[in-house]
Amino acid sequence: MIFANGSILPDSELEVVLSRLEEELPQILGGPPLEAATVLDALEALGNELDNGALDPLIAQFAPPGAREELDRVRPQIGRAALEERLDLELGGLSGPRPFGRAEVRPLGVLLHVAPGNMAGLPAFTAAEGLLTGNINLVKLPRGDKGLTLAVFQKLTELEPDLSPYLYAFDIPSKDTASLGRLAALADGIVTWGGDGAVSAMRELAPAGCRLIEWGHRLSFAYLSDWEGADLSALAEHIVSTGGLLCSSCQVIFLDTEYLSVGEQFCKKFLPVLEKAAMAHYKTPGQAAQAALYARETALEQVVDRAGSDDLNFPGQCCSLTLRRDCELELSHLHGNVLVKRLPRGEIIPTLRRQRGRLQTAGLLCPEGAREELTALLARAGVNRITAPGHMSHTFPLEAHDGEYPLRRYVRVVDVENKF
Amino acid sequence: MLSRQKLFWLSRVYDLPGSDKRFLRAVRDNCAYHIKHCPEYRTICKAEGFSPDQVKTIDDLAKLPLLPTLFFKRHHVSSMPGWRTPMKVTSSGTSGSFSRVSFDWGCIFAEIPMVLRLGFYHRLVSPVPARYVILGYKPGKQDKMGVARTMFGLTHFAPPVGRFYALRWKDGGYVPDLDGAVKTLARWAHSPLPVRVVAFPSYLWFGMERLEELGLSVKLPKGSKILLAGGWKQHYAQEVDKNTLYALAKRVLGVEEENIHEFFGAVEHPVFFNSCKNHHFHIPAYARVIIRDVRTLAPLPMGEVGLVNLITPLINATPVTSVMTDDLGYLTPGEECGCGLTVPYLTILGRAGLNDITTCAAGAAELLNQTGAQ
Repeated sequence: MIFANGSILPDSELEVVLSRLEEELPQILGGPPLEAATVLDALEALGNELDNGALDPLIAQFAPPGAREELDRVRPQIGRAALEERLDLELGGLSGPRPFGRAEVRPLGVLLHVAPGNMAGLPAFTAAEGLLTGNINLVKLPRGDKGLTLAVFQKLTELEPDLSPYLYAFDIPSKDTASLGRLAALADGIVTWGGDGAVSAMRELAPAGCRLIEWGHRLSFAYLSDWEGADLSALAEHIVSTGGLLCSSCQVIFLDTEYLSVGEQFCKKFLPVLEKAAMAHYKTPGQAAQAALYARETALEQVVDRAGSDDLNFPGQCCSLTLRRDCELELSHLHGNVLVKRLPRGEIIPTLRRQRGRLQTAGLLCPEGAREELTALLARAGVNRITAPGHMSHTFPLEAHDGEYPLRRYVRVVDVENKF
Repeated sequence: MLSRQKLFWLSRVYDLPGSDKRFLRAVRDNCAYHIKHCPEYRTICKAEGFSPDQVKTIDDLAKLPLLPTLFFKRHHVSSMPGWRTPMKVTSSGTSGSFSRVSFDWGCIFAEIPMVLRLGFYHRLVSPVPARYVILGYKPGKQDKMGVARTMFGLTHFAPPVGRFYALRWKDGGYVPDLDGAVKTLARWAHSPLPVRVVAFPSYLWFGMERLEELGLSVKLPKGSKILLAGGWKQHYAQEVDKNTLYALAKRVLGVEEENIHEFFGAVEHPVFFNSCKNHHFHIPAYARVIIRDVRTLAPLPMGEVGLVNLITPLINATPVTSVMTDDLGYLTPGEECGCGLTVPYLTILGRAGLNDITTCAAGAAELLNQTGAQ
């Protein structure tokens, strides 16, 4: 399906929509600019619909289970006050008088968003960021999007018809490079969410001079120092509830120790905590079954793919722990199957440096007295977020995105000399 | 490997107790073969402390190393070199990854009597030529999808004099032509030859709804049948009550409920499960089914809902002896069916956690590709 000019069209209209866009974009860009206030009004109205339950049927129909809870959790971040604060924090100070005259903040122009499929609502969110900065947004939908984004766009343009010329969505597969290339040719900036494959593919399609804004896959981990007696249940709940699928999901639990036996003790102690979290999280038999299958698959892959390794396996019900002897940060088996490794604090910087540019969140659990030292080490190693283990995937108001303020990437600063 | 042929050439297709001994022997030989020829399977058996001689009774089948279908999607394992496997089949792989299962000559030699005997038993075999409308894929060189082959195979129970495919390969993709199928059905309804509609249940449903929408109804010639294979696939959300489907088939195609047959099977478990006259899948002598607890994977007693574990010694080329599907289901004592068969029957409730895996699996696959790991 395609979304263009406020309505949903069949995929067969792609050619017509693309040709029309090529003609219309310059006209839209030449028209009156899209004011942030208009977008804020529309997003607020959409937020109200969400709060009063008017969007529940849409969510039930199109979003995966759990999306409603997810939305409730991020709801404060998409409220009017939070967005106004963000605009102020991220763009405030960029414009204003300068010794030579003045600086103005202008939208980049046309943004092509290659939206991610691992979290419902993100395609709409990335487009909203583009709208807030006054851009025209072309969204390439992820494969798993069952219609939620299209429905949200339609609702948004119903609430504020002035947004119609600024929102487009295309359900074109990644391998259709011809159509993607045509969209890329229209763009002033390409916002790519996804793995290295998606990022490189879009780099190839981007015309020279097009700004590349890449929210690539990141790896996150927990760092535990002196955890004896600490409550590990929040970490367990985080691991199970995100399934390891988010950039902020814990892939490896690093232990501040040199001793393998300490690692073994930890696994024996943590496995029941993880199992308990899994039992509580997988509510339906179907979800539990899926998790049990993944745990079984993990056990088999440990045997087959890591034959000859001396990994220590700790299989549990619907989850598992694998204690590996190296200290590299790497992707876990996902779905509640997590890796445990030793990483003495002296090794943090040399080890994590090898993954620079990929690091995101560290969930830190340590005694109060060690907190500052470990925080500084992790930050210097290249970690961009340091949180409590249970909050690794929480979103905090006014936080940066992978070390950057996104709205700044979606605008240009125009310097104007006063008299010439 | 004669133990396998002895099992599959059995004439009493639903005699489970009578076939137990042959089944166990064939499973032991099958396992021993995979252990000898498939390094991955050997490693798994070693890690789990399993050896074929542990399978002495039917209950011991639960000890077989349990491989989830996901394993076959991520590992294209084999117990035979490619030149010894005349047929390679893949699952439809809706989420982008698919299982690849190779078939050996011995397997094909064992399948033929199984399919023929079950076909005769369920009165699918007929000398009267028939025309086939296939609401499914047209098999071709471009793909090796198991269900396309199954559907093609189903067009041989009665001598085929014409085939119409609703999904055809065109410019690198399948193109549906439901309207063409509807027109063909209407045309063939006037001929004296029976028509057999071979279909994915979802396509049959959409096709019949289309007929009804157009205000059309036909009465297919006497002896016409509807053969359903391949499950509901990506259309689970629209899965309809079976009785509604049967009523619609009678209304718009004039096919009685007793002439609607369903089949169940998987690329990783190509045993030919047939529905009885009460639409139940009784377990044939060539397979055994264990229902397992969704959390512990331990075997469950009759009647309890769990993951469906399918066991057969059919294939030597790929170690699919004991496969864990991601279907949830349960077993019921055969006597409760009323069709006359006393062996238990399998009811499939649907795919486990289907909704929550589509997005995750897509994301995970991407993540896995990204690191090049696993």
